[in-house]
Amino acid sequence: MTHQGVVALPRKERLILELLASDGPMYGLQLVDRSDGALKRGTVYVTLGRMEAKGLVESEQEPAPPGGIGLPRRIYRPTALGQRMLRALTAFARELAWEVKP
Amino acid sequence: MTGTTGGPRLPGTTLLKIARLLLNEHLLSTVVQPTISDLQREIADAGPSGRKRLRARWRGYCAFWTMMLVAPFASSSPAEDVGAVAFPDAVARLAVGSILVSTLAVAGPMLGAWVAVIAAVGTLFAILIHAWYARHPSDLPVPTEPQRRFPQINFSSTEVAGNIGGLIFVVGSVFIVATGLPSVILFLFAATVTGCALAWALVTWHTSHPKRGLPENQIVFR
Repeated sequence: MTHQGVVALPRKERLILELLASDGPMYGLQLVDRSDGALKRGTVYVTLGRMEAKGLVESEQEPAPPGGIGLPRRIYRPTALGQRMLRALTAFARELAWEVKP
Repeated sequence: MTGTTGGPRLPGTTLLKIARLLLNEHLLSTVVQPTISDLQREIADAGPSGRKRLRARWRGYCAFWTMMLVAPFASSSPAEDVGAVAFPDAVARLAVGSILVSTLAVAGPMLGAWVAVIAAVGTLFAILIHAWYARHPSDLPVPTEPQRRFPQINFSSTEVAGNIGGLIFVVGSVFIVATGLPSVILFLFAATVTGCALAWALVTWHTSHPKRGLPENQIVFR
């Protein structure tokens, strides 16, 4: 959400960016499993779709294995913009933590 | 792709068909298909254990229907710039949904389960018609000039006088309301009797005062 040029990142989107940046490309169910309950499987792809629209992540369909059945999975990875935003927000949070420490 | 090539029917095939009726292609490819893909993979990974497969199905179906509730509020096209609101018409949809749920919550206990069922079926039917029309739009050409007249249901310019058309209109209206709201049949009966009495009084008065009648109704082109 923009407010006078300031870009905010919701908590779930930041968590997804952190997981993708630390563990590499993943699909939705892997993100849910590694989030310790913070992400729900019913909404994770809606969140990922919103992040993709913002340009924070990008996705591609997993190539179907030979003889594989079912729909192909969609693999997500952070974009350069998403990684920059994560770094900036982490540095910002660290700065604030330093400021408020006694 | 969905396992329709003669093999066993894959779980989620019907869910995908339902979603295709209600959501656009963008949401289907980015939200629905990955969710169903997870459902299929999780069931496949559950192995032969019936209990594990049932658990995987249950979790997958819950995820699908949760997604179906949330996904319509998502934007159908990517946002213009970073951080832009991704749900441009979410507020309107949320408002309509809230009004509908509130109306059902209030009207349901007062008017009975029949009214709630009728309202739910009507809502579902309206959603299906809307989804169908969105996927199969009309072939009628779109006017290039701005319209000065808008389609609307308006009986004010239609002559519904004391003829067979008026009788059919009144009887049909009463029948529709009585079918949808059986609890107001007594009210309709009282209103009909009162209306007949009022009509008889008006006819009597106009007969005795022929020059003071209202101007004849006309079909007005607006």
